[in-house]
Amino acid sequence: MHYITGVQLLIHPADEVPIYRQIMRQITDAIAVGRLKAGEKLPSHRELSEQLVIAPLTVKKAYDELELAGFLETQRGRGTFVCARPPHPNLAQQRDQIRDQARKLLAQAYLAGMEYADVLALLEEAERSLQAATAPKESV
Amino acid sequence: MTPVLDFREIVRSFKRGIPVLDGVTFAMQTGEVVGLLGRNGSGKTTLIRIAMGMLHPYGGSVRVFGQSPVEHPVEIKLRIGYVAEDQVLPPGSSIAELIALHRYLFPRWDGALERDLLNRFFLDPSSRIKHLSKGQARQVALLCAVCHRPELLILDEPAGGLDPAARREFLETSIQLLNREGTAILFSSHHMNDVERLGGRVILLDEGKVRLDEELDALREGICLALVPKASASDPLILERVPGCLRVRLVYDQWHAVFRGEPAATQARLVSLLGVSGIRCEHVPLEELFIEMVGGERGVPA
Repeated sequence: MHYITGVQLLIHPADEVPIYRQIMRQITDAIAVGRLKAGEKLPSHRELSEQLVIAPLTVKKAYDELELAGFLETQRGRGTFVCARPPHPNLAQQRDQIRDQARKLLAQAYLAGMEYADVLALLEEAERSLQAATAPKESV
Repeated sequence: MTPVLDFREIVRSFKRGIPVLDGVTFAMQTGEVVGLLGRNGSGKTTLIRIAMGMLHPYGGSVRVFGQSPVEHPVEIKLRIGYVAEDQVLPPGSSIAELIALHRYLFPRWDGALERDLLNRFFLDPSSRIKHLSKGQARQVALLCAVCHRPELLILDEPAGGLDPAARREFLETSIQLLNREGTAILFSSHHMNDVERLGGRVILLDEGKVRLDEELDALREGICLALVPKASASDPLILERVPGCLRVRLVYDQWHAVFRGEPAATQARLVSLLGVSGIRCEHVPLEELFIEMVGGERGVPA
């Protein structure tokens, strides 16, 4: 199978997050970091359900929600693709979540004996690698 | 549309005055997947045997494809695939002989599916049943249950006693059937990870009744667990009376209370109601939810 080139999905049934949410998050993460590019084709419900050994309706639910959110589009008879222009995220909705993660990140860094400046340096490093990964490919 | 399976107010006991099933009602539609959960002795197998017409209910009624499984046993069985918890296959016969018998019994037998499954399971048709491993015997039972393309597949603890790899293979086949045939599946299981994978709807039996009947995802996202210090509620009734409370039990020095609703909202409600902080609310995986719903109290001095 060569459908998803940029994302390898792994699901954990015992996670606190239901399987369809795990799939959604892994696909949006892959889009965010550039591992899944605009126009790339995703496996069909049936293929992904058999690969991951989960119910086909679970895959459908994840794809439907991602389509509704504007990350994926279904072209009748051709399959499901990553949208050319991913949606502008709803910042208000996500700010709380990101603030929460920032707090956790800092707490973990301080526990490990790092300084605030070290964390900032790490953030900048992450920013550079993200930029590199999501930059459009130069035609040679 | 007529439900595939329809239980109404089913009552059954084995000892006088101790009902195993005490008014169980639910229906399954075409193509639906239902996971039947509950502790040992909660009546899952009894309910399944009632659907198969192998046991009479003492009260209530059961309909399979709109008909009584006792009055129309043959018609109904032609449309059902069934793997029992302790499926006994004739030990002396070969796989090929067993399949020949089923092919003879079921006019709609699908020879292509049969060959496909034999290949996938690496089963040699000439092997005798008694020489098969437990996992292989289960695979043969599954093959015999599905090759007539049933509209309803009933699996009673299909993974019981199988190693994780064999269980996964069994699940893979079930999911492929779901994809290919859109078969309705009723399965009982103690393996919550398998239930998560098969998805669909979850029915929890407890003390003879249906305690939960909900889509798996709704269950996972619409129910949370609250940990409340024992000292902040003198009586479990205080928590049980809070709207949305499904169950309270004591675990050492904390109340574990299952609530319908979002964790943050539930936490805020409990904090304002009890006037204490130190309450934690979270979504929990299915296995934890199962234990919180039907598990006993723990760490309580006698």
